[in-house]
Amino acid sequence: MSGPLLLQSIILGLLLGGLYALLAAGLTLYFGVMRVVMIAHSAFLILAAYLAWYFHRETGIDPLFSLVITVPLFFVTGVAMQRLLLSRLRPATLTMMSVLLTFAIALTIEGMLGYVFSGTQRRIQLGYSGSNFEVFGANIAAVKLIAFGLAALALLGLYLVMKKTRFGQALRATIQHPEAARLLGINTDRIAGYGFGIGLATAAIGGTALSLDSTIYPSLHWHWIGPLMAIIVIGGLGSIPGAAIAAMVLGVSQSLLQVPMGTTWAQTVFYLALFATLMIRPQGFFGGRLAQRF
Amino acid sequence: MPSASSHAADRRTGFDRALLGGKAVLLVAAATLVLAFPRMAPDAFILSVGVVIASYAALAVGWNFVGGFTGYISLGHAAYSGLGGYATALLIIDGGLNPWVALGVGALGVALVAVPIGVASLRVRGASFVIVSIAMVLILLLVSQSWSEVTGGSSGLRVPRPFGEDVLRPEQHERFFYLHVALVVVALLVWWAIDRSRFGMGLKAIREDEDKAQSLGVPTFRYKLVVFVISAFFTALAGGLYALWFGYLDPIFQFSILIGSYMVLMSLLGGIRSLLGPVVGAVIVGYALEYFKNQYGDTQFHLVALGLLLGVVVLFMPDGVLPAIGSLVNRFRPTAASIREESAAELLERSEETRQAEEVHR
Repeated sequence: MSGPLLLQSIILGLLLGGLYALLAAGLTLYFGVMRVVMIAHSAFLILAAYLAWYFHRETGIDPLFSLVITVPLFFVTGVAMQRLLLSRLRPATLTMMSVLLTFAIALTIEGMLGYVFSGTQRRIQLGYSGSNFEVFGANIAAVKLIAFGLAALALLGLYLVMKKTRFGQALRATIQHPEAARLLGINTDRIAGYGFGIGLATAAIGGTALSLDSTIYPSLHWHWIGPLMAIIVIGGLGSIPGAAIAAMVLGVSQSLLQVPMGTTWAQTVFYLALFATLMIRPQGFFGGRLAQRF
Repeated sequence: MPSASSHAADRRTGFDRALLGGKAVLLVAAATLVLAFPRMAPDAFILSVGVVIASYAALAVGWNFVGGFTGYISLGHAAYSGLGGYATALLIIDGGLNPWVALGVGALGVALVAVPIGVASLRVRGASFVIVSIAMVLILLLVSQSWSEVTGGSSGLRVPRPFGEDVLRPEQHERFFYLHVALVVVALLVWWAIDRSRFGMGLKAIREDEDKAQSLGVPTFRYKLVVFVISAFFTALAGGLYALWFGYLDPIFQFSILIGSYMVLMSLLGGIRSLLGPVVGAVIVGYALEYFKNQYGDTQFHLVALGLLLGVVVLFMPDGVLPAIGSLVNRFRPTAASIREESAAELLERSEETRQAEEVHR
């Protein structure tokens, strides 16, 4: 592999890893607050991408501005989903049944997207879609950089909310020990609802970023949920830093393996890493006791 | 008052006898209906729908070995049905085996493959287990699409027919219908035998509370692994039989998460704790699926219908149809004093209710 090509692979891997990191952070957040594996996360991602595409087609404004609508919309949807649907499930079988319930939501979203927008592949064409620039001989598309910037900003925002605000403190307390958090006067049900809303808002941001540089179609979400779920298990269920680090490492690995092996085989790196993790360290590399028991 | 209690006991046995008789009549009627179905079907299309539903039933019963006994919900059992299909096809095409031998050998091979997968995925509970099961299907989809020298890739693989060309289409459907029904019956017998054994008792203890089961001396990991491999074996048999009937394999349909979710939906709808639950669920869901595909075939609307149905089942009747009917019948029982099985979830709910009632009382 030549020098520029290697550099290009690494940069592309980091840019992709940023998007993975944001989405995996949302996915692991749901698990943290409610012990729920949210299969519909990537379906909402594709839904947000479709909304961005539709917004651009109808108004002609840059799809980035669709965030103004989709982020609040997804936040409210997330809160409603937690309060109205997931909290109805029995606590003893919550983890298993929530998988099925969110799976049902994913199917419904995929079906509705296909029904409303048809199965045709869609792509946003922007003035700056084709522009790219060179860094030490490596070619980087501008849209990929914008997508990464968006993801990085959202992750930074999430980090600040979690670490610096009172709400973030309550959220972390709920993740660590719900009963103790309740004893301290935290309304864990409401916090869990907001946590869910934030998780879904990451899908809105990720979907807009995705719509900038890739072709979208209704069943695309299956290609995203596999890698994302592998990432959160490897990082340790419920651990946001673990998810982010695993996402960056695996994103770069996938990008590097694409050159000799091709796109399809390179995807298997996620699943190989998943199986290796389960054999060596079933609780993941950053998760604590929490991850092992679920 | 000994006389009163013995009288009550008499009435109870009378009720039980009536219940047993009713069940037997229903079972005989259902069996007759199933066996007579190929004769009653008006045309080959309806007959082929019957074969599809029987195949769904075989898959759902295969799935229910893991799902019903241990409560581990696998969304990726399409991995084993797909592998069973491909193993059978490749053993006939490249191995030159007799189709029926290939079916058996293929399923045994899949059971062997399931051992390391089980070792890896049963180390973790709940969430991680589901994730691994989905990952398996996605890996196999990638591999079967990319490795086109062996699997035919995206253009698919033609499976040779086990019966000669002189056997006509409706005749084929009829034979395969009975073969699928036979597979379902064998799988049900094995399920029933496990259900009544010490092994089954241990598995159900795992379903209710794995930590407690372990502390009581149940070898949880070994039990889970054994039942996982049995489940993979029967699912692979069902997949292989379907491949022999359908005669064509395409990775997208073989290794599809949808197929895995059908198995879950069918078992859950019928009731994963009951013997016949998956079969009842397969008949309902299989019929609904064929109906939706017929009505909304060109659009993606059948996905919405499937999604909504699954959501309703999970939210409102997670125990399934058969247990719901069972408890309805039990209401008419003169004195419901016998010890009945209670799941950990019900126990938790009941103790929660009494706790709240006590608080209100205070």
